[in-house]
Amino acid sequence: MSHRYRAVGWNPQKLAYDRTIALAVTSGLGIAAAGTAVLNPAATLETILLRSTALTALVLLHAVLSIGPLCRLDRRLLPLLYNRRHLGVTMFLVAAAHGVLAIVQFHAGGDAHPLVSLLTTSRDWSSAERFPFQIAGALALGVLVVMAATSHDFWLRTLTAPVWKTLHMGVYVAYAAIVVHVAFGALQSEAPPAAAWLLGVGIVWLATLHTLAAHREARNDRSVPAGVSWVDAGPAAAIPDGRARIVCAAGERIAVFRYGTQVSAVSNVCQHQNGPLGEGKIVGGCIVCPWHGFEYRPDTGASPPPFTEAVPTFRTRIVDGRVFVDPRPLSPGTWIEPARLEP
Amino acid sequence: MPPLLADIVVGAVQTYLLAGVAFALAFAARGVSRIDPMAEGAALAFRLLIVPGAALCWPLLLFRWAAGSMAPPVESNAHRRAARRPR
Repeated sequence: MSHRYRAVGWNPQKLAYDRTIALAVTSGLGIAAAGTAVLNPAATLETILLRSTALTALVLLHAVLSIGPLCRLDRRLLPLLYNRRHLGVTMFLVAAAHGVLAIVQFHAGGDAHPLVSLLTTSRDWSSAERFPFQIAGALALGVLVVMAATSHDFWLRTLTAPVWKTLHMGVYVAYAAIVVHVAFGALQSEAPPAAAWLLGVGIVWLATLHTLAAHREARNDRSVPAGVSWVDAGPAAAIPDGRARIVCAAGERIAVFRYGTQVSAVSNVCQHQNGPLGEGKIVGGCIVCPWHGFEYRPDTGASPPPFTEAVPTFRTRIVDGRVFVDPRPLSPGTWIEPARLEP
Repeated sequence: MPPLLADIVVGAVQTYLLAGVAFALAFAARGVSRIDPMAEGAALAFRLLIVPGAALCWPLLLFRWAAGSMAPPVESNAHRRAARRPR
């Protein structure tokens, strides 16, 4: 959280995260290169580099796509989410190295522009043996370029979080294109189809994770019918001190926080990256978003100065020990007197 | 893809990106501080980091810069839209 942009807001957690990424990528490249050389002794250096970057990028992409649902299934894994963008950009750099190597290797020697050569390699979309799988790889790389180039917080603010998140859901388009690229590439290769097998396992893994996470989210998202004037959020004493219960009303989730004898409610959607505020906790008088540490005061929904972020607030009251929330949101940053528990 | 179409696609992308890079350099140097106060006084490393994205998204940024936009828009979601409605 900063009130002025920096290239990277380094801190010990990010440094440790990035060191781990560097170690994993170096190891992945080394293992994939060694594996290619052992399984295919006739492979040239170019082939070894092409396959090791492809396999490493593929594994990294699966890691990137696994972090979201894993964190929804188990909050202890949230530290993985903290610097996921660096993991994504690293994956893009490895994939870009693969793409550049492939273009130089297969398309840079002729009279045609290398990209024109890439697009005109084959026009036989109906044949598995001649399917232009390289175009699918280029499409995936194009999507990843856009995502990597717009990964800085400047783009989050410029595009707004919902638009930015929609744009970055393009990773699933890239994944689909990579599935086509790898599957048809393996069919047309004489080498052992390790990448195709790995991809098959990856598809099943990701489909399972996303299904489980979506099921859990849907179970918790029973929205209150429109027209209800006060939403029952359950017994106040059942909300752990400094934590929240999440209810769904007015088309979105509301985070109902108890802190000591006070209860306040704010929109659950962090203004930074739309993280779930209700899964965070109150530290030093502020709600701390569990994703990237953005802070909001529970009674106003506003970030402490000099920060300017603010989320909508909701009126609360306590009747017979139960918390009730008015589902009509108030303007972001509006102060609402907290409901108070009887001592 | 037919060669003629491939030539047109590659040429169009190259033209778009060349224009984008030229705009992005000017935007990173001056424009970014005009459309977002959080970029005021930002270091060179940040400015270089936004060049690739600015080269891709230059029509949007050019529009905001030319329109004199002083700050990024605030996001819209169900709660924010409901909060704007008269009670």
